[in-house]
Amino acid sequence: MAASQINLTKLTTQFQRSSHSSLSSQLGAIAAQGLEMVYQSGTQSFHALRDINLEIASGNIQLLMGPSGSGKTTLLSILAGILTPTSGTVFLLGEEITRMSRQQLSQFRLRNIGFIFQGFNLFPALTAAENIEVILKLKGRRAGSAHKEAMLLLEQVGLENKAKSLPQDLSGGQKQRVAIARALAGNPQLIMADEPTAALDSQSGHAVIALLRNLAKEGGRTVLMVTHDSRIIDVADRVAYLEDGVLQR
Amino acid sequence: MASIARKNLFEDIPRFLVAQAGIVFAVSLVTIQTGILEGFTRSTVQLIENSNADIWVAAEEMVHFELTQPLTLGQVVQAQQLAGVNRAEALMIQSGRWRSTSGEIAPVRLIGYDPDGQLFRLWNVTQGSQSDLNDPNTVVVDETNLRSLQLEEENGRGSINSIPARAVGLTRGTQSIATSAFIFTSLENTMSYVSAGLTSNVRCDVQSGGALECSTIYERTDSPSDPASSQPRPLTSTDPISYVLVQAEAGQNIEMLKQQLEAELLGTQAYTQAEMAAHTRSYWERRTGIGFVLRLGAAVGVVVGMVVVGQILYSSVSDHLKEFGTLKAMGASDRVIYSIIIEQALWMAVLGYIPSMAFCIGLGVWTFATQGITILITPISALGILGITIVMCGGSALFAIQKVTHVDPAIVFKA
Repeated sequence: MAASQINLTKLTTQFQRSSHSSLSSQLGAIAAQGLEMVYQSGTQSFHALRDINLEIASGNIQLLMGPSGSGKTTLLSILAGILTPTSGTVFLLGEEITRMSRQQLSQFRLRNIGFIFQGFNLFPALTAAENIEVILKLKGRRAGSAHKEAMLLLEQVGLENKAKSLPQDLSGGQKQRVAIARALAGNPQLIMADEPTAALDSQSGHAVIALLRNLAKEGGRTVLMVTHDSRIIDVADRVAYLEDGVLQR
Repeated sequence: MASIARKNLFEDIPRFLVAQAGIVFAVSLVTIQTGILEGFTRSTVQLIENSNADIWVAAEEMVHFELTQPLTLGQVVQAQQLAGVNRAEALMIQSGRWRSTSGEIAPVRLIGYDPDGQLFRLWNVTQGSQSDLNDPNTVVVDETNLRSLQLEEENGRGSINSIPARAVGLTRGTQSIATSAFIFTSLENTMSYVSAGLTSNVRCDVQSGGALECSTIYERTDSPSDPASSQPRPLTSTDPISYVLVQAEAGQNIEMLKQQLEAELLGTQAYTQAEMAAHTRSYWERRTGIGFVLRLGAAVGVVVGMVVVGQILYSSVSDHLKEFGTLKAMGASDRVIYSIIIEQALWMAVLGYIPSMAFCIGLGVWTFATQGITILITPISALGILGITIVMCGGSALFAIQKVTHVDPAIVFKA
């Protein structure tokens, strides 16, 4: 009796593995199924996300829009493997990240995801080139090749002449272009951007949007972008709206 | 990753300098306290360590180098006649009172030895010659005592226990921190000084086995000594001495010779040079509170250093928390984050250690030249303090690591 129970468990596990495997191969670059996020504060609980199901095809630019407090950043954090959902599964590039350990998640993010932040999040003590080199060194590049690659990326974003400038000496638009170059360092397949144009003036915002579109399309990268900026809708392949933690189609 | 650690540290130079000042203070405190302890203990045993004697024979009751019961000069002759002994010499340690020609008095410690001998020789003689001590009422003093004995102002003259004394030489680095000014002189001069104003009687006791043991007993009289009788007299075998210094013949087993000396010279204990130094060092370090006090000071320095460095690293990490969060979000492992903080701590340790050591070496040179106090910094102690500094800064980094370990990488999305 005990032996048959063990066999049954093994079979169930094998079935689950094979179904995950076949499912992941069919999914897009980013896929979320039944995501729930509940924050607990004392006896009160707050439902930040409810039953989120989302799939983003490889090479697409997906916008995530919605009012403040709707759960956009929480969803982005979960899809980037930074936050762990209360329940549900997330697949990135066919791998289920919700099953990964903290260390595996760090490795996965380092290899596959580039980040662009609303506040740029550049290292203020480092020059523009060094900000990019840091990530390349984390990815295992030697100092010499990291510098060359950083210079190429700065050239791609039109800032090769600002390589030695500190962030404090750059304009908002220039800072965000350095941040984009950093996000592209090591050629990740996924770009996660949080309000990339929010801190920029109109002209800089347009320049950054155009740059993001070109880099995404030319590089075949999948971009997930949280934004309030309606100007970006034109460059997006798909737009999803979040309201009160629920995805509206 | 090295550049983040270094550049974050040097980003705000005024704050970095304030931080370094704290570390310099802490490291200097540790270095000075340990240096004084090392210098102190060395100064108390340097007369032993600079002797050429293999064995020091002392009275059984000997507490430390400067506190012992007397032996007799006859025991030096006895030791000399023992098989395996190449040479035996006497050493006297006595107390005296120095009076300058202007009438000011100071306690002194008389060290009497044979100026023509081989087993106890003064080293670092900067002026004069030891052979001049064969002249009556002559002394050699350490340079650091010139002022306290008022020898510079008074043409090198004064008196000891009312007997005239004339400085014929100077030494450097021979003074013990723990005691009165050393006055080096011949055995005869020493006896002359200590017996000034005293009358002497020879007392003889019959020992078990029928042997006769005689010693000279001195008693102070009320009348002042007669200056005419201040000339040193030849010593007799019953005169008291403090130690018999023994040089063994080549190839002689020192342990066996010690046992033979103890058996032959009743009421004595024999020590090798190292044992004698260790015995005296142990007295000053353990039986007085000096060792404890100085070690406590050094420990306080380490604690102060840890608090200062810990506070600085913690606030530095707090200021750069979002950067650490960004690194974590982008995939940096905990090991990478910790290595940045530890590298910062190591930079602070090294950059605090170098000026501290330079300051303490300079201070040591100054105290030695002006006060005769050695702040001893040996290569080994300097390395040890570097180790303590690194451990202190590394330990302090743990607070900062604790802080960054709990950083939620999701903070990166908060503008």
